[in-house]
Amino acid sequence: MSDMSSSRSSGFDRRAFMAGAAGSALAPMTARAAAQEARAPVAQDPALPVDVTLRVNGQDKRLSLDARTTVLDALREHLKLTGSKKGCDHGQCGACTVLIGDRRVVSCLTLALAAEGQEITTIEGLATSDRLHPMQQAFIDNDAFQCGYCTPGQIMSAIACVKEGHAGTDADIREYMSGNICRCAAYPNIVAAVKQAAPEIMKG
Amino acid sequence: MTAAAPEPKANMGQPVPRYDAVAKVTGRATYGADMPLDNPAYAFLVTSAIAKGRINSFDLDDAKRVRGVIDIVTHENAPKLKESKLFSNGGYAGTTIQPLKSAEIAHDGQIIAVVIAESYEAAREAANRVKVSYSAATPSASFDSPGTTKAAAKGQNAQFKEDPKVGDFAKAFDEAEVKVEASYETPTQHHNPMELFSTSCAWMGDTLVIYEPSQYVYGLKNGVAEQLGIDADKVRVVNPYVGGGFGSRGSMTPRTAIIAGIAKRLNRPIKLVPTRDQGFTIATYRAETRHEIKLGASRDGKLVALRHEGAEMSSRADPYCVGGTKTTTRLYACSNVDSLVSIVRADRNTPGFMRSPPEVPYLFALESAMDELAVKLNMDPVELRRVNDTTNEPIGGKPYTSRSLMACFDEAAKAFGWAQRSVAPRSMSDGDWLIGYGCAATCYPTQMAPSAARVRLQRDGRTRVEIAGHEIGTGAYTVIAQTASERLGVPLEKVSVFMGDSDLPPAPVAGGSNSTASTCSAVMMVCDQIRQRLFKAVMPNESLTDKAKETVGIGQTPANQAARSDRPLDLEKAFDALGVGVVEEYGEWKPEGAPLDSFKAMHSGHARLVGGSAMKDKIAYAFGAEFVEVRVNRFTHEIRCPRLVGAFAAGRIMNPRTARSQLMGGLIWGMSSALLEATEIDQRTARYVNDNLADYLVPVNADVPDVEVILLSEQDDHINPVGAKGLGELANVGTNAAICNAVFHATGQRIRRLPVRLENIEV
Repeated sequence: MSDMSSSRSSGFDRRAFMAGAAGSALAPMTARAAAQEARAPVAQDPALPVDVTLRVNGQDKRLSLDARTTVLDALREHLKLTGSKKGCDHGQCGACTVLIGDRRVVSCLTLALAAEGQEITTIEGLATSDRLHPMQQAFIDNDAFQCGYCTPGQIMSAIACVKEGHAGTDADIREYMSGNICRCAAYPNIVAAVKQAAPEIMKG
Repeated sequence: MTAAAPEPKANMGQPVPRYDAVAKVTGRATYGADMPLDNPAYAFLVTSAIAKGRINSFDLDDAKRVRGVIDIVTHENAPKLKESKLFSNGGYAGTTIQPLKSAEIAHDGQIIAVVIAESYEAAREAANRVKVSYSAATPSASFDSPGTTKAAAKGQNAQFKEDPKVGDFAKAFDEAEVKVEASYETPTQHHNPMELFSTSCAWMGDTLVIYEPSQYVYGLKNGVAEQLGIDADKVRVVNPYVGGGFGSRGSMTPRTAIIAGIAKRLNRPIKLVPTRDQGFTIATYRAETRHEIKLGASRDGKLVALRHEGAEMSSRADPYCVGGTKTTTRLYACSNVDSLVSIVRADRNTPGFMRSPPEVPYLFALESAMDELAVKLNMDPVELRRVNDTTNEPIGGKPYTSRSLMACFDEAAKAFGWAQRSVAPRSMSDGDWLIGYGCAATCYPTQMAPSAARVRLQRDGRTRVEIAGHEIGTGAYTVIAQTASERLGVPLEKVSVFMGDSDLPPAPVAGGSNSTASTCSAVMMVCDQIRQRLFKAVMPNESLTDKAKETVGIGQTPANQAARSDRPLDLEKAFDALGVGVVEEYGEWKPEGAPLDSFKAMHSGHARLVGGSAMKDKIAYAFGAEFVEVRVNRFTHEIRCPRLVGAFAAGRIMNPRTARSQLMGGLIWGMSSALLEATEIDQRTARYVNDNLADYLVPVNADVPDVEVILLSEQDDHINPVGAKGLGELANVGTNAAICNAVFHATGQRIRRLPVRLENIEV
């Protein structure tokens, strides 16, 4: 037997990080959030709530959040929009994919504060009351899911994939849909669904 | 019709879209962690950083200072829980290692503390600030580690009853004209379903509601009640949708009773969403296995001797094993068979069921050895299977209820273009790519378990089916709705199905591919009870005995014969005659040969699966044949698998769409198992290294080849009333061997250890 002390913590201090480095380390997202730049990082304790307004599926939602809250947790835990799923919380699986503007992002790696002022579209925002989005219908027609847990992320990603112009060939679809893991392995059916919906989506 | 919805052949249902399709594409399908809770507190787990030893002390000061922390629970202040027996030994638990009970550490990643806070963010931060002082001992990691113990499986594990043997193996092998002796290895694998191992517990007075992805709501309900020491009627498990299971959610994990106990103490709902890496150690996995195969054959390819010895890893605490020799000793005709399964114990978490638990590792060994034998005999591997095909299994001589193995080989070979294969290894190429063709048999036991159901029919034809089954992606809602629709003769869109709730009539574990056969047989039987009531009301004077059997389909009549009544009931007339607005029936179905205590066990959450090789006077399996093309780059040794073709026969196919999708997913699972998946274990520390979805490789869309699924028409009147064999675990069995056989054909090198990695290719 040997004595050892250990903690799963790396010794990295989140508080110091949040207070001192918010402007630089989070640059990739904050740069796109012009409205955010005016906000100085005042909170000494990140658990102290920060007011934020998120625009989700065309509606403004006022929230008071822990500064470390991700878009995914804001949607799921604070807005009761549970369609976006947590599969890894590391940006590895794609189950949490939403659109911010026209861009597909993994909402688990995007802080809610960094998404303020931008249009967030989730799976709940696609269908109108009487009509599914063409990608949703294509997923049904081609049986592009089994357990359904990755499906909201797959569909959001698929819409962006088409709009980016990456749905021209099967090989392109496979490549550009590879950020979304489907453990049930509905992949060939997902490719078929994207192909079916692409012309209608491009038509607008 | 799209490729996703194949035209039904004889004895197949309609390929209707999934019952739950709209819910799943709109985000309205609610999984465990999606369930709304009233003012929940959030839990975050702290797990052990050592695999063996004990905790000296915790330093919680820093963690407690985090704003929003409510409580930190360790073994020093944890709720007291009762023990639960291992699932395989008649209990509910996937492991008998109970965390937070003492300072002892039995494996890496064991739960050692639970932080409860007002927010997820605060709970996570505080968990990261928990400091632990350990006394660490040197752990045993796996097969070759010092300190492991090895013993025969028989006598340790109630589900492993015997090592099958027949004839005189030693003599026959000694005298055999052609022999193959080889060793094979399969790695540790983790299910990694997309949904995390969450649990939410909310008490309403003395009643506990659990929202958790489960493949067995009755098992979980009864198991948690047992651990908490309360009446099982005070526990309800709700999970209308499960984000993938693959076996990982069939048995109870320790997390649930722990969270339930803390929620009770704090008098507040608690939501736990563990991280992906924690899922590697707080639930189960497929253990690594080793195999020694000996095959003896005559010059014409007939097997005369077969021996399969398997060794499987398990934890110190539990004798878990899969024991696939029950299948591999019975697959081919052979009069001299011997086998032995052993369990090796190390300082690991307890392994458990993972998609086709026995067949995946054991058929990899056998079907690889069969290919080696075909090479030695200079015989087409398809013909080798044909020569050894059998109608009766060799151990007890029992007849297969149906067996379309060679029909599957012939169909798949034709679709694949097997005839174009140039026989010699390394004889096919395309530029820098060596091309190999390979094939293997696949099979999975047909299993059933007792199930109950409640069906309510209204006079306008609206039908409500209630059954505590599980939708883990298999299409359970869909085939149950189809069964009720067909049986009652009401339109499919009028049928509602309610599942995933332990307040509903009990259904078995969604494991062992028994769900469709069991739940649909129960639903069919209860629909027949309704038909009988209506029939009696409309035709009170007619003798029910013969007429009802003929048109209402009582008893064990196969679905396809009875589904079409020659005398459709006039519902309005029948309801008028009965003088009621609603007819509701409850019934309990059990398969032929089920033990006497089956229904009692069904209610107490003990699944009594019957079928496969364990039946008295017959043996029931689904079969298939799988063909693959691999390409190995002669310079970089990169391995690609551009084509997978599988043909399968599984009795009645309830819905060709959902069946094809499951089999397609299974083939891709098989490819993944052969080429990608392995949990790496640090041999010094007995810790999993690649415990995340970036390092534990699962296929993404770009990895997935052209997959063709062929469904064969097959009718089997000797298995269950529905006539269905389970197929959810059928397709991922043969693929490992098929790919290794193709790699041999491409390169001339035999790979006997999975997964096949480019660094192991020596072209």
